[in-house]
Amino acid sequence: MLGLRDLQAAFAAHLEGEDRPSLADAVMGDTISAAARLRIHRHHVAESLATALAATYSTVQAIVGEDFFRGMAKAFAATDLPRQPVLAEYGGAFPAFVARYGPAASLPYLADMARLDWALNLAFHAPWRDRLSVSDLADLPSEGLLASRVSLAAGSTLVRSAYPIDRIWEASRPGAAAGRVSLDEGPASVIVLRRSGDAAFARLCPAETAFVEALADGKTLEEGAHAAFAVEPAFDLSTTFARLLALQAFAALQHES
Amino acid sequence: MNAGAGIGLRSPHLAEIARDRPATGFLEIHAENYLATSPALETVELLRRDYEFSVHAVGLSLGSVDGLDEAHLDRVAALIDRLQPTLVSDHLSWSVAGGRYFNDLLPLPYTEEALQAVVRNVDRLQERLRRRVLVENPSCYLAFAHSTLSEPEFLAELVGRSGCGLLLDANNISVTAHNLRLDPEAWLGNLPASAIGEYHLAGHTVNEADGEPILIDDHGSRVADGVWSLFDEIVRRHGPRPTLVEWDTDLPALDVLLDEARRAGRALGVEVEADARAA
Amino acid sequence: MNTTRVAIASALAAALVLPAATSQAQGNMEKCYGIAKAGKNDCQTAKSSCAGTSKKDAQADAWVSVPKGACEKIVNGKLTPS
Repeated sequence: MLGLRDLQAAFAAHLEGEDRPSLADAVMGDTISAAARLRIHRHHVAESLATALAATYSTVQAIVGEDFFRGMAKAFAATDLPRQPVLAEYGGAFPAFVARYGPAASLPYLADMARLDWALNLAFHAPWRDRLSVSDLADLPSEGLLASRVSLAAGSTLVRSAYPIDRIWEASRPGAAAGRVSLDEGPASVIVLRRSGDAAFARLCPAETAFVEALADGKTLEEGAHAAFAVEPAFDLSTTFARLLALQAFAALQHES
Repeated sequence: MNAGAGIGLRSPHLAEIARDRPATGFLEIHAENYLATSPALETVELLRRDYEFSVHAVGLSLGSVDGLDEAHLDRVAALIDRLQPTLVSDHLSWSVAGGRYFNDLLPLPYTEEALQAVVRNVDRLQERLRRRVLVENPSCYLAFAHSTLSEPEFLAELVGRSGCGLLLDANNISVTAHNLRLDPEAWLGNLPASAIGEYHLAGHTVNEADGEPILIDDHGSRVADGVWSLFDEIVRRHGPRPTLVEWDTDLPALDVLLDEARRAGRALGVEVEADARAA
Repeated sequence: MNTTRVAIASALAAALVLPAATSQAQGNMEKCYGIAKAGKNDCQTAKSSCAGTSKKDAQADAWVSVPKGACEKIVNGKLTPS
């Protein structure tokens, strides 16, 4: 007879694909065998985790179709089970898995779409508070403004790609126009953000990307501006900074006491 | 909570419920969907002003030999502090072993050893939440040969030793009884009725294993006729309790779910009025 | 303060008083991820739990399975190895 600890260990092994005779012996079979009864649980774990991953990685699923996605998701889940019960927090390693998943090798942009889906999921679950507002900066003298370090708010993520991920994302929406997207459209980067009632992203041009990346690295606004001008001498700093403030992309300033 | 019938709050319905505030006995959420902050949690907090809530956990793993995951328990406790729900529940099952979460309500052997593990975990849960919790009978697809207690006997012992209440799922009784060749009426006979704090109803589907029909608790359709009959019998024996209609797979329009809850209300002898929401 | 620093400081300060940018900024974002997607944990049993194949088979199947979705609109996406 299996004690509870051994039984749960054997059951866990079964769910991960390893058949343990001691477990099958402990389960009552009749016209439905013990093995068939146990398989229901093994299949449920794989199916339900694939469903959870499909909810998080809905763009990836739209791109490859449900059948292919579920095969890929089950292969991922077989090697990377959740470590805790909140499924919204499960699957952070999926983009890296997609990148090395052989059957998807013909879609080189797919892992970046997974990174975009994950960033949207993180943004959706980020707190909606402690955002930098215009009034936090309004009273600063010029020197203070130049030396300010503003960091990205919780859930704000820069996603850079060698592919036009924003266009691919649009083309994969349900009901999207039939038009084609060419990978020749080139690289894109987007900033993903929590908004009051949802999560969303905005495309950034290369100079804006350099600006945001510098700020995210802890650089000052002045240093960020130089990083952007190095990419594009005609960079419109005012409009970009105003836009990012309006999007509430930045965290409130940490006041040193 | 008055013994009305409510619905499982599912996120595709959230915006519509927030806008229209339909009359229903109460709303039940799965704790694990609201542990991370989100606009959905913010909406639920607004709805809490107008509805009574039940928080139904699906991931505490009350049957784990390793004990409860304290980090997860802290998050569930924080949610319950915020929402102050009328009812709190989880299942007689386990989902975690060796630090891996299987996202399934896995079956327990009904032995003294397993009983002690569940009692220990329920004691810890009730101590941490400082309230009584309800434990739900699971849908079973298999039974262990070395079980020494029936499921209702196990639940009765659990209630006696921990002081917890029961969440009686009529559909799960039907599914388990069919799959394990038990008599559902006999199953009902051994329960400590006064501990029942809530009923659940849901649809199941008929599938096949080894060429034989097996019932799968997929929460993907209206409540089956046989389950309504069993529910009538439960209400006749034990009286009305807050009753929840759950629907997870192939979620229908909100009206269908509300209609199913109204039918449950009629079975309880409780009509849902427009003013049946929480004050 | 040299002229470049003055220019950057002025541009940053100007951003703080640019109300028109607010609506422009909001206008170019798409609603991506709303509350209808919030629930991933549930307590049902997957309908297809009785069907299906072993994990080994599923992985083998993946190599004969072909992506079939919006990828068909992504050109130069090398649907077939070239």
